[in-house]
Amino acid sequence: MADAQTQPITINPESIRQAVDARMNARLKMWMGICAHCGLCADTCHFFTAKNGDPRMVPSFKAQKLKKLFKKKGNVDEAFMQELYDTAYGECTLCRRCTLYCPFGIDMAMMVATMRGILTSQGLTPEGLKAAIQNYLETGNQMAVSEEDWVETLKWMEEELQEELPGATIPIDKKGANIMYTVNAREPKYYPQDIQLAAKIFHVVGEDWTFPSKPGWDDTNLAMFAGDIKSASYIVKLIKDAAEELQVKRVAITE
Amino acid sequence: MTFTAFVEGPLVWIAFLTFLVGSAVRLLLFITLSRKKDKPVYRYFSLKWMLLSIVRWLFPTNPDLQKNPVFSILGYIFHICLLAVPLFYSAHITLWQESRFKWSWWAMPDNWADWMTLIVLAIAIFFIIRRIVVPSVRIITTPSDFLLIVICALPFLTGYLNTHPDGTAYQWTTSILPFYGQYSTIIHIITGALMLIVVPFTKLAHWILFFVSRSVIGIEFGRRNYSV
Repeated sequence: MADAQTQPITINPESIRQAVDARMNARLKMWMGICAHCGLCADTCHFFTAKNGDPRMVPSFKAQKLKKLFKKKGNVDEAFMQELYDTAYGECTLCRRCTLYCPFGIDMAMMVATMRGILTSQGLTPEGLKAAIQNYLETGNQMAVSEEDWVETLKWMEEELQEELPGATIPIDKKGANIMYTVNAREPKYYPQDIQLAAKIFHVVGEDWTFPSKPGWDDTNLAMFAGDIKSASYIVKLIKDAAEELQVKRVAITE
Repeated sequence: MTFTAFVEGPLVWIAFLTFLVGSAVRLLLFITLSRKKDKPVYRYFSLKWMLLSIVRWLFPTNPDLQKNPVFSILGYIFHICLLAVPLFYSAHITLWQESRFKWSWWAMPDNWADWMTLIVLAIAIFFIIRRIVVPSVRIITTPSDFLLIVICALPFLTGYLNTHPDGTAYQWTTSILPFYGQYSTIIHIITGALMLIVVPFTKLAHWILFFVSRSVIGIEFGRRNYSV
């Protein structure tokens, strides 16, 4: 069981049908059609193994729920959507190990990720993910660190660093730098020392690097885990825009 | 036109054309839709990863051999016999020779065809039992999975019966189905035609889509440095 599905489920058949159709591509259709139900994927799944061979954890069984949803053309009930939610979030980590053993190479993780996207389109997203996505859209990072707090944290870390390594800096908005460095937003929020450690290495090797002050420094993308492609690409675009504005040569993604 | 003439003539044409055109349509449907909705496949297109992935899984050079050796090896043997007997059985080639195409190619010795037919039937029974007995396979099994095994096995069953009219199996069959002796060849052709006709409409389309599916995942995994 996935946690935190506390929202009441309201069924809007037309909206579900549209969400399914919009996401149905040629690969998904092919995979739904050719899965031979051979069962070779069963014991490749860690959920299957951890639950002592519970047949409901067979990857093909989970992935084929997308086929059921596709065939129902939006005519589903609350129980079916709840089952889909539990499978998509509670019974698959999208690790793709099953695909490594599927003779056809069926990407069952992509099928489950598509389920997540459809669920998200109906407002069915785990609360934590939903809040994080809202943070990205409002502040550009998942922890809702304000631009002021971000810059202040960097300056504070720079001061501490200079006590140990005189001359070391944490450059902000340095145009034309070699590397634009990005972090997980948990770092400025809870573990700012991590930023200091990275700066120490950059200083010692003499790297030409910088942080953007504006959004684009958080390289996590939790919207991706909710199958929220629109928000996910917005988050990536923040990084791309920051890199282009600073005219850096490359972006270091640490997450 | 008599029913017999219909089965021996038009039905065979219908079966082969449905099989070939239907499979081609499945392929075209993939290509046209993927051009619009599966852009990564084309953006990262790589012949190298495509071919590597296909070859690795067409031949017994993939990890399933180690993980599930019995099922994998039986799967390979089943597919080889399923393709080889219809294509290389001497009496089938004689029919091609006598047809308007006058085609001819290598024929396998008839006792090979006998054994390979029995192997197909034995493995088909094994597949059916496995689908019933193994819980992790039973849960993903649909009625059509059973039906398709039967549809694939029937041409082999009737082929074996018809080439061994003195055998006990044949005697037994004609005692239950008295008309069988009269229509044995027609029934064999119908079962073969049925198998060809269902291919484009079922999971059996994997005879061609296998290559497409392996290609797209080969491209996807190859560029990420995963095992293809």
